Formats: sequence, structure tokens, C-alpha cells
Amino acid sequence: MEEAKRDEEEPKQQQIWSWGAGTEGQLGTGKLEDEYLPQLLHLPFLYSAGSISTLACGGAHAIALTSVGKVFTWGRGTTGQLGHREMLNSLHPKPVSSLQSYVITHVSAGWSHSGFVSEIGLLFTCGDGSFGQLGLGDYRSQSTPVKVDYFANNFVNQIACGMRHSLVMLKGNQVYGFGSGKRGQLGISRDKIKSVNLPQVTCGLEDVQIVSISANGDHSAAISADGHLYTWGRGFAGAADANFPQLSLSSLRCTKAALGWNHGLLLTGDEEVLMLGGNYHGGLCDLEKMSAVKHRSDSSRATLNEVIGLDGVKVVKIAAGAEHSALVTGRTWGWGEHGQLGLGNTNDQTIPQTVSLSPDIQNKEASLNVYCGSGFTFAIRCSREQIYESINPENRTMKSRNVSYKCSAVVSHVKLLSLFPHLQRNVWFGILKASYQ
Amino acid sequence: MSYDNVEIEDMEWNEELQAFTYPCPCGDFFQITKDDLQLGEEIARCPSCSLYITVVYNQEDFLRDKDKSKKKDLEPAKQLPISVA
Ligand SMILES: [Zn+2]
Repeated sequence: MEEAKRDEEEPKQQQIWSWGAGTEGQLGTGKLEDEYLPQLLHLPFLYSAGSISTLACGGAHAIALTSVGKVFTWGRGTTGQLGHREMLNSLHPKPVSSLQSYVITHVSAGWSHSGFVSEIGLLFTCGDGSFGQLGLGDYRSQSTPVKVDYFANNFVNQIACGMRHSLVMLKGNQVYGFGSGKRGQLGISRDKIKSVNLPQVTCGLEDVQIVSISANGDHSAAISADGHLYTWGRGFAGAADANFPQLSLSSLRCTKAALGWNHGLLLTGDEEVLMLGGNYHGGLCDLEKMSAVKHRSDSSRATLNEVIGLDGVKVVKIAAGAEHSALVTGRTWGWGEHGQLGLGNTNDQTIPQTVSLSPDIQNKEASLNVYCGSGFTFAIRCSREQIYESINPENRTMKSRNVSYKCSAVVSHVKLLSLFPHLQRNVWFGILKASYQ
Repeated sequence: MSYDNVEIEDMEWNEELQAFTYPCPCGDFFQITKDDLQLGEEIARCPSCSLYITVVYNQEDFLRDKDKSKKKDLEPAKQLPISVA
């Protein structure tokens, strides 16, 4: 489901920026370079197939799903993850021609594989299959999306691709896992599972109505209709791995989960963001400086924490890369000033920083979304001016002032920045620099 | 500080690079060659950033590998070589 088919605006009303690691062409800039500042992209070919309704960003590739159900991919393609019938990188968005005859409604990008779900519930996978993560019954890689026959008689709703595994959610409530299971990320067995190449039912969710699934690194997560969060796979913050879905805080009401390689973000119904893990390497955030929301009675499990520096600012969108995160706040003004309070030092803190997207979107009615790949980020803005103009022309100016969105990237690596000076230059500093505008 | 400890069996053999690899959060791969392993090197580096991982393995496996040329026994069994068009 994701945000598929959400926005139907004219392509002209849509703007796309990218920044971060770009050496595989994943930024869509037409260059093989890292970008430290958000780059406004010009993607005329892509726009010819309608506006982008959602993006999926993987290890070093990206998938765009358009409002008419067409799919474009770019970035690293060396294991077939772009679905272009070849195992080559692509600097520019190119259509996945073998899916032309389908209306695609959901896409996911893993480290080196991809998944596509059609309007009628068919599942296709391509890319690296060496851990069985394509679910095709073998360990081969595919350069063209292949229909997953295992689900021939089922209606697939969503796929979530992690580093070496995949989760699938059927219409109804069943969740399946396949690929590498070494850290428990498939949730299919009490015993250690090295890998499976055919889907198997994830245990413990049979009586739960799951509405969304997520995967990244060796982590897996699902959210139920009543907002409960379940996580399994690699433990957060050094906690033990979980072979089965674990319910995190039954009092929690989640609307979205975004997973990294060592952290997870949760968006609650109150538009609050909570973080799972994050200090596994001592770098992502300083848990002592975060206010622990609540500790689970089982102390071996990771705790949920508020993100420091947000100070109650409402958050409307979240996204997580391997070791960084991005979120969109619904705050009208002041966020830039507020976010700058912690700038200029490299203390062990995590403070969300505001990214300036040029041309400035303040005082303009817009809907902004963010998507993170392993080391890169995309932001898409859809103008809603036209909509409000037609609904309420007199009130437009006032509304514009009241509702504007700014994009904030949570800079997750302040401590790592000081430990890994070269990394600053290559990837993370790009995000940080963008934040200082 | 090492980003992670990774067992050699969780790394993938890349024929083109002639190295064992593991995903780096920047999008590139940590890499270590068999020669490195025979020398007892346990740090796999990423060519695109300054991150590195510690590779967990038994050096003797690779010394024996050198002597007897039984390379296949030591590569992760489940993984196929990464094919490059
Ligand atoms: Zn790297």
C-alpha cells in the first residue's frame, strides 16, 4: 500500500531532490558523484508516465512508481536489481519494460534486489537471489522481474526487501518470509535458519491483522490494524536476535515503521517519532541523552526512545537509510532556527537538522515526502496550490501560511563523524552540510 | 572503531574483485582478499568511505587453502559467484 497512488497532480507540480552517495548513479543526477546538497532533478522521461506516487530506495538503486502504475529504475544494476534485462548500472531512470502490461501498485528495493506488486495481487522479483531472497525456489539472480509462482493463488498486497531477505504480506493478514534467516529475520522457525528460497509463513502473526510490513538490513517489522508494532530479526542496540515477531509496547499506536541497519523509526498516531536501538555502534544517538519512553519488562529487548531535539514538533513522514534517517515535519515556521540550536559541535548527540530544498517551499502549499536508500535520500514535493485554489480561492493565502512543510533530516552520525573523518566527506557530511543551510 | 564484526561465511566471494565482500551502509562493499586473510589481516575496508569491519575467521583455514589449493571447501557453500554481464 505505502503511499501508492496518493498523488494525482500534474507532473509539473512535482519536484524531486536527491543527495548523498551517488557513485552508482542512484541519485538520478546523471553523474557518478556524491552530492552534499539536495539536487533538483530533471527527469522528463519519467514524467511522461505521470507523476511519481512513491519511491523505493535500496542499497544503491531506486525504484519510482508512477501514478499510472508504471515503474522506472536507476542506480546499481550489477545483480539485475533494475530489471532492465541486463546486469548493468543505469545513470538515468529507465522503464522496466517487462512490467509494461501490468499496473503496479507497490514496490520495494532491498540491498541488491527488488520487488513489485501488481493491481491484481501478482508479485514479481528480480536482482540478487544468492540467499533465496527472490522466493523463486533457487539461488539464482534475475535481471528481469519474474513472477513468484508460489503466490499464484494468493493476492499479494505488499513486499518488503531487506539486505538479504524479503517479507510478503497477503491480502488478509498472512505474512511470509524468504531469503537469509540467519538473524531470525524471516520469523519462520525457532531453530536457526540459514536461508530458504521459497516463501514460508512467519510464525506468531496468524491471528493478527497486519496492515504494513518493513524490512532493512537484517531487521523485520510489521504493524497491525490496531497500531501494534512487531519486530523480529537482528536485535536493536545489541539486544538478542528474535526468531519470532515480538510485540513492542502494547500501549503504542503506530502508523508507520522505517528500519535502518541498526535502528528503527516509528511514527505514532500522535505524530510523534520514536526510535528503536540506535546506539549499537555508539554513534547513531546517545541514549543517555534521550528520554527513554518506557523500558520493556524484558530487559534484553531494545527500548523505545524519543528523538532528541524534536521537542514535540509534529512529524508527518519518516524514512530510514542504513545509518541515517529523514523526516518531514508539519511545522509552519521556526523549525530552522530551532534545529540549529545544536549545530557547530560534534558532541555525542542526535539532533534533527533542517534541510533546505531550493527553490524554497515555505509559504507554499505543498506535500513533501522523503525516501532513504542505504547512503542516499530523495525528497519529493507535490504542490497542492491548484487543489486549494479550486476549493477555496479566497482563503488560499491564509492556508498557505498555515500549512507548509519543511524537510528535516535526522543527522544520525554526529558521533561517528568525529570517529570517521573520511566518512564525513563522502556521505554523512553531505547530509549534515545540507542541514546547515 | 569497527562498524561490525562479520563472520567470513556471511561474506560473499566476488570473482571480479577477487575478494570477499559485505555490504557497507554507504552503498559500496567492504572488501578483503584471500591474500589478506592468509596474512592474518582481519580488517575489511570500504573503498568509498572510511568505515571498516572486523572479519571473524580462522586463519588456518586459509593457510591450508594455500597449501592444498582446496579453495572451494572454504567459500561459503550457499553462495553463487556474482555474475556480471
Ligand atoms: Zn562504505
